Amino acid sequence: MLFFRSEERVREWCSATGHPLRPLVRMDQLWELAHEWYSTRLQPDSRRPPPGEMREIFARLGLVGEFWNPHSDVFGGGGGARGRAR
Amino acid sequence: MELEVRAKLAIYEHFAAVGSRPSVDDIAARVGVTVPGVREVLGRLRAQRVLVLEADGESIRMAPPFSGVPTQHRVTSAGASYFANCAWDALGIPAALGRAATVHSRCEQSLESLELAVSDRGPEGSDWLFHSVVPAAKWWDDIVFT
Repeated sequence: MLFFRSEERVREWCSATGHPLRPLVRMDQLWELAHEWYSTRLQPDSRRPPPGEMREIFARLGLVGEFWNPHSDVFGGGGGARGRAR
Repeated sequence: MELEVRAKLAIYEHFAAVGSRPSVDDIAARVGVTVPGVREVLGRLRAQRVLVLEADGESIRMAPPFSGVPTQHRVTSAGASYFANCAWDALGIPAALGRAATVHSRCEQSLESLELAVSDRGPEGSDWLFHSVVPAAKWWDDIVFT
């Protein structure tokens, strides 16, 4: 999970490293994700979003498709609910 | 409050206060249990994916968004300095702290420096981008790589 100066730099990096190009996320979207995940982390009742809630958060931010599906099995090895743990 | 919650809070409060990971001795003193008792709780928190531990089973590698080891993603706030596990967590630290911070990182391709001011309402306007190679369903298959 990395920062890039522009889409062109992401494409260059993917080409150089052999990694696939994935959906790009704007900084305002990333802040919303970070806030959803971590704004209560210093509180006793903090919790991570469970998979169903993750999908709702992603969808609200316009992050849709298999890449953002915590249950997706299209990337090999099955996904199950592994995404819940972040 | 149950022991796991008290230990988790002690760990996160230590990171927030000083920017580095607590030792098992720090946690034991804060929570009021023995060091072996702390090791047992750390194992349970790891199993719940609250923490990632080093191979020694007691040093905290990750208490997301905080990193127990230096990374390329640093966050400064109110005179303290923190390391984040990744770009997402770099914004997660000001979100967790609930106060203004500056994210210091870089473009992974060009190595251009990023200095991003973040208030309690979010980052200043920026056209930088975030990219994750790993899809959501696979994040914890190898969380250190993710």
